Amino acid sequence: MDPFRLLELLILAAVLASFVGLLLRRNLFLKVLSMDVMGSAVVALFVLVGARSGLRSPILTASGTGTGTGVGFTAWADPVPQAVILTAIVIGLSIQALLLVVITRLSRIDPTLDLSSFETGGRR
Amino acid sequence: MTALTTTLTAALSARTILIGWLLLPFLTAFLAAVLPPLARWLALLCCLATGAVAAAIQLGGLPPAFDLLGDYGVALQPDAFAAPFLLLNALVCGAVVLDSWRRPMPGPFLLLMVLHGGLSSAFVVVDLISLYVTLEVVGISAFLLILSSRSERSMWVALRYLLIGNSVMTLFLIGAALVYLEQGSFRFEEVAGTSSIAALALLLVGLLTKSGLFLSGLWLPLTHAEAPAEVSALLSGVVVCAGIAPLLRLTSTVPALGEVITIIGLASTVLGLLFALADTDAKRLLAWSTLSQMGLVALAPVAGGIYALAHGLAKAALFLVARRFPSRALQGWATRPLPAGVWWPLWIGSFSIVGVPPLAGYAAKSSLDGALHGPLALAVTLLSVGTAAVYGRLWGAPLSREPQLELASDPGTDPSWSPGVLLLLLALVVLGVVALPWGPALASATATAALVLLGGWGLHRLLEWLRLRERWRLPELERLSDLLGGIGVVGAGLLVILNR
Repeated sequence: MDPFRLLELLILAAVLASFVGLLLRRNLFLKVLSMDVMGSAVVALFVLVGARSGLRSPILTASGTGTGTGVGFTAWADPVPQAVILTAIVIGLSIQALLLVVITRLSRIDPTLDLSSFETGGRR
Repeated sequence: MTALTTTLTAALSARTILIGWLLLPFLTAFLAAVLPPLARWLALLCCLATGAVAAAIQLGGLPPAFDLLGDYGVALQPDAFAAPFLLLNALVCGAVVLDSWRRPMPGPFLLLMVLHGGLSSAFVVVDLISLYVTLEVVGISAFLLILSSRSERSMWVALRYLLIGNSVMTLFLIGAALVYLEQGSFRFEEVAGTSSIAALALLLVGLLTKSGLFLSGLWLPLTHAEAPAEVSALLSGVVVCAGIAPLLRLTSTVPALGEVITIIGLASTVLGLLFALADTDAKRLLAWSTLSQMGLVALAPVAGGIYALAHGLAKAALFLVARRFPSRALQGWATRPLPAGVWWPLWIGSFSIVGVPPLAGYAAKSSLDGALHGPLALAVTLLSVGTAAVYGRLWGAPLSREPQLELASDPGTDPSWSPGVLLLLLALVVLGVVALPWGPALASATATAALVLLGGWGLHRLLEWLRLRERWRLPELERLSDLLGGIGVVGAGLLVILNR
């Protein structure tokens, strides 16, 4: 099997597992943790997409060719997905932090953070 | 002197103006944190700037597309599609600022400005990653605004909102990565060329959830109903549009999505109507109605902008006056008189949503009718009858005859007419009158509207009679696991439908 496909499948399996965790866990903290697993899987996916054409960073040198070793143009990594995912990592981290702050406050209501103590249903 | 003029013209090129306008809310947010007394004026300035940009787009003063920083840069499209959404953003945020002019706003103004800036950007971006960033900015600031009342209930609602929002945006990112893998670009038009059904389904799940459509939008009623009144107005008025505007852009560039979005839109409308007819709480009724109206917005990309504009203005006005409802319970609604500052906005706003001629809602309904054809147009008219029945539940309350008494009881806390609500109602009337067809078309439009109103009122009376006889309850669908399950079901359904 193509290693790229294999890694892609593994990452998608991680996403699926985290979605199942998000769905089935009764503990709020574990739900947020599942969300973070999903976020990490997406970061891995973007890094993989960036590395599909090669691993070498495309950095311009004084000679202007980028690499002195003669590896060729094809072995360069794609910088765009990596640049893009940096933003997503920052956003994911800040959201994680915000959710954990709220969970800390909610733990005063129920220290075990069980879902049923917060859900009074749609009706008041 | 000429040199100065040329420099000025060069500096004030359309591109600079546009970038300045997009940055303005974030700069003023910083300034407002440093200089709190200026906050209201700065927020108003941002709204005016957005309104001016919307007008400039409508008048053709701005080029419809920009590329920033070359090939790998970001493209912006302040085109005619974005104009109604920008106008909506300006008017609703402006109304919220005016409404809280003499009272403390829930949450700092900084958040309102960041929300405003994020929304403006979301309406003009045309690539998946910029869209992701703007939607997350909007989501985080909306989360903090919901939190501003600091009650335990609001903490739970806000946590739910951000957890769901961030999870679906993560799925959206996977879709974006799959599109990039195949096409080498994140632009919307490249999505059309992708052969990956999974990518399309993941992108759609993200946007459908953000715009509160069908089962993936079940988070919406509780969130919109439990937030403070001003925040509800923002959420139901414009924040849902941050999801639906890019969804419509995507639908118009990817023809394969048209059919499935139509199905989801209709399903969402019916779902929202059923739950709005069965609910017992006035604010929740308004929130369910948002879910159903968003379904109608999704039906046609051509008419979506004007429909979202008309709906957002009316719904924001309704939520702003919801703060002054004597009680949120719909039971016994007809026995509690409402002051004039609530009664009139309630009637005007709900008439606009139902689509009665001199108001903006009528212009939206007729442009939606023009964009649809055959059985779909008929279905929309039938659904308007349902909408009339929903709002019929709010029309029973009599107008209070003692305005003096009310003023004396709480002096200075709330003016009897909120300037923000007045602004929204004025916009509804002006937009409606401008788009009004004169001549014989007007008569037939009035006749249709009258029939819809009569049908809706009849349906309302019938349902009221049924409600008295036995309490009919719909399934409880708003637990967190239901919301996540709904998202999963919609995603799986999309995979199946798109795979055909």
